[in-house]
Amino acid sequence: MSHAKLYTWIYVVLFVGATVQVGVEYAGLLEPGTYVAAVAAIIVLSLVKAVIVAAYYQHLRWEQRSLSYLMGMGLLAALALTIAASYSIT
Amino acid sequence: MPEPDDSNDDRDVQPDGGEPHADGGTVTDEDLPVDPPHEDEDDHGHGLPDMSSIKRWLVTTNHKDVGILYTVTAMFFLLFGGMLALLMRLQLWAPRAAGAGPLSAAAYNQAVSLHGLLMVFWFLSPFAFGFANYVVPLQIGAKDLAFPRLNAMSYWLYLASGILVGVSFFQSGAFPGGWTMYAPLNIPAYTPGVGATTSVLGLMLFTASVTIGGVNFITTMHRMRAEGLTMRRLPLFTWSILLTVWMMLFAFAALLAALIILSSDRILGTTYFAAQSAGGSLLWAHLFWFFGHPEVYIVFFPALGAMAEIFQTFTGRRIVGRKWFIGAMLLVAIQSFVVWMHHMFLTSINLPIKTLFMATTIGISLPFDLMVFALIYTMIKGRIRFTVPFLYAFGALFLFIIGGITGVFLGAVVLDYEFRGTYWVVAHFHYVMVGGVTALIGALYYWFPKMTGKMYDRFLGKLSFVLYFVGFNLLYFPMFVAWETPRRVFDYPEAFAPWHKLATIGAFVLGLSFLLTVYVIGKAVFVGEEAEDNPWAYSTTAEWAVPSPPPLENFPGLPSYGDGKLSFRPESAADGGEAAPDGGVAATEGATPAAHDDHEEEHVSHASIWPFVTGVAALFTFFGLSGIQNAQLIDGPWGMVHLAALVFGAVLGLGAFVAMGLEEFDAPTGPFGESWPFSSTSNTTTGMWVFLASDVVLFGAFIGSYVFIRVAFGWTAWEPIPHNSLPGLINTYLLLTSSFSVVLALVAAERNSTRGIVASMLVTLLLGIGFLVNKGIEWFELLHEGIWLSTNIRASTFFLTTGLHAAHVIVGLIIATYMIVRAWRGAYLDDEAPLEYFGLYWHFVDIVWLFLFPLFYII
Ligand code: HEM
Ligand SMILES: [Cu+2]
Repeated sequence: MSHAKLYTWIYVVLFVGATVQVGVEYAGLLEPGTYVAAVAAIIVLSLVKAVIVAAYYQHLRWEQRSLSYLMGMGLLAALALTIAASYSIT
Repeated sequence: MPEPDDSNDDRDVQPDGGEPHADGGTVTDEDLPVDPPHEDEDDHGHGLPDMSSIKRWLVTTNHKDVGILYTVTAMFFLLFGGMLALLMRLQLWAPRAAGAGPLSAAAYNQAVSLHGLLMVFWFLSPFAFGFANYVVPLQIGAKDLAFPRLNAMSYWLYLASGILVGVSFFQSGAFPGGWTMYAPLNIPAYTPGVGATTSVLGLMLFTASVTIGGVNFITTMHRMRAEGLTMRRLPLFTWSILLTVWMMLFAFAALLAALIILSSDRILGTTYFAAQSAGGSLLWAHLFWFFGHPEVYIVFFPALGAMAEIFQTFTGRRIVGRKWFIGAMLLVAIQSFVVWMHHMFLTSINLPIKTLFMATTIGISLPFDLMVFALIYTMIKGRIRFTVPFLYAFGALFLFIIGGITGVFLGAVVLDYEFRGTYWVVAHFHYVMVGGVTALIGALYYWFPKMTGKMYDRFLGKLSFVLYFVGFNLLYFPMFVAWETPRRVFDYPEAFAPWHKLATIGAFVLGLSFLLTVYVIGKAVFVGEEAEDNPWAYSTTAEWAVPSPPPLENFPGLPSYGDGKLSFRPESAADGGEAAPDGGVAATEGATPAAHDDHEEEHVSHASIWPFVTGVAALFTFFGLSGIQNAQLIDGPWGMVHLAALVFGAVLGLGAFVAMGLEEFDAPTGPFGESWPFSSTSNTTTGMWVFLASDVVLFGAFIGSYVFIRVAFGWTAWEPIPHNSLPGLINTYLLLTSSFSVVLALVAAERNSTRGIVASMLVTLLLGIGFLVNKGIEWFELLHEGIWLSTNIRASTFFLTTGLHAAHVIVGLIIATYMIVRAWRGAYLDDEAPLEYFGLYWHFVDIVWLFLFPLFYII
């Protein structure tokens, strides 16, 4: 079954992604100088993995687009709260 | 009273361009399309006892019954909240020292706080949802909601949460810190009472009820509309409820986050809101008002929808600019999530953000202007009939205009510096919120004949309105005049005493008008004349096309608007009304529809005791939890009572869920024609995703709180709690692998392999347990080093956020265990849907971890 194969590949990608995140830390990139870039890389990796899980394991990719928008709305609400609140700090 | 001579009205002239009969169910032209068989449908084969037996009300899942339960219960809470208000007004008759007057200082604080909480949460919204439950399915042409048992469960959880709040008064006092529950006043250092915790837990349970209800309504209203009933054609009340439930879904998730954190501070001893925690009190304000501002529209929108409906019916005219009206509501619903900081102008947030939120606040008042003008214009263009519902709706419009204008004052930063914390605010929000109540009383008079089949005494109804309107303005207008009175304080300058005396008198007049309304409708229930199916000459929506009250299954056939007007088509299974399990709990596969295809009519279920049992279980569980402080049971025998209640409640709840999963329960699922935008997912899948969207906001608010606190703390000065990211990485591997094995279980189900399913699910279970064990070891070691959740704010965020995630894992494992047992007995081979629902949940838990891991272990 080709699906099973696809799922296996995705599993491998996710596994590697998580390892790389820790790798960034172990490589000593979370130090002044490279800190911002390292944090950004780690967050982006998390986002990518999350999207992959949602798209394939939760098969959003094959569902009606509206379900993706629905999740997008939730994410947007949470981001609005987080960013605006953090920005409001004097 | 029908006014047949008016039938040549101008209502078919539609200058705003709409075709005459476009909006959802302009049906009741001259002749009803039904000649309704007024037979007693109630007792043949639906498993529902008669209306007069108590058992009926405990087991019913029918939306109309649940609607009545909501309406009646909400009115009890009105009485409860109203009594507290009258006590406050008596105290305020004259400015006097604490203890002089009917209330002690502590009692006054509790009365103020619980009055606000009860009225906003336990009266206003549920009252509106009584009508929503009753009317919305009728307006969209559905026989019931998508998940009837979950609907009943929402109700029972609501009742349980209200009882908890009542109980809190007897546990050394209810929560005394104001309905906004500002930090740090809300933590045990300042409000140590057990009862205060119970109030908070009561609100949390209410939040659960609302979330379940929201998922149910969203699924129903999007997926189960009759053919031809496109979004554009939905009746206005239905539109207002649809937007309300969407706002609820996201807003209440943020409130749930706030309340979980608060409960954890109170019960477990985390220090989020402690005075010395970075950003603590501000964090509460953000979370609360991110919920709180949408909440004011959540309580107001149903009233607005009812107003629009009543205006149309009693002016005999379709609302002017219908499209624009709907567009304005939609805009407000979205905008309501970006104005919250106008409640925080007097906190330490910076000036640029204050200015920004002043601008968004002005922005949100604009669509409201449009709606107000649409309503006014509708009156001008139509011919008004001053019935009781119309009087109330009209009064509501008037009150809302005053409330809205005074709100714009508050939205201006400089003015708010003056007005904040005064009676101006009190007057403003009572004009808008109780203005909303006014419209809902109108709704009660409007739909009462439909809900009961009885007509009330119209003269007394009008009298109640006069009392109401006079009482209302006598009560709240003086508050604008004496606006310098400090809010929430029982002492005030002597000079304002006359105004407060007026207000107190007004309060009693207003109270009297409510009593009169209760009398009018109570009398009508017992001795009222029979109401017609359509007592209002120009009503246009579908609920008026069926008998009063409607039969159990609402319609004499399959409703369709295919040819522009409501008609009923003969029902056959092919029309889509196929019976299927009402999932929602990932474990309902017990009700696999076997051979129900043709005679589904007779198999549709309407009764289940388990929602009620769940409510009882929740009551005990939450009561039990309130007896814990700083992660320890309170001293003495009461500690044991709480513990016993907790254990009993938890066991009962688990049992009720399993029983519900195994119960055969078939409900019509649709689609019946229109199901935009979820036409290709089943009800349960849709419901599951909608629920997950709210969970995104829940976890988002948790993560957002962490980010916020860390920014306030100093981002780089913050060290992760675990010294080492390896245990976290191992847990990431475990969860990822367990997600993969759930995927394999589905593959096995497609291949019809019981062994494959069981093996994959077992692997998932074991990996999940491994995750928890690993986490346990990690926590144990931290504890050993003297780091626990109360140690500092860093530790609090770490333990609570990953703890909430672990709780999600545990719930998942319980469901997995249940499913393994069922799979072992051969389930899921020809219906793998439940496996899929479980997968959606489990992968979501996995995704959350993908963020928690770097945030709490690496960065
Ligand atoms: C035209 C639209 C509105 C505007 C511009 C507006 C503006 C405001 C502002 C700026 C405040 C904060 C005042 C302060 O605490 O200093 C406020 C408070 C409040 N508003 Fe409104 N409002 C509007 C409509 C509504 C509606 C429709 C409702 C409810 C149905 C409502 C309910 C409330 C409540 C409950 C508070 C008090 C919150 C508290 O306890 O502190 N408002 N309003
Ligand atoms: Cu607001």
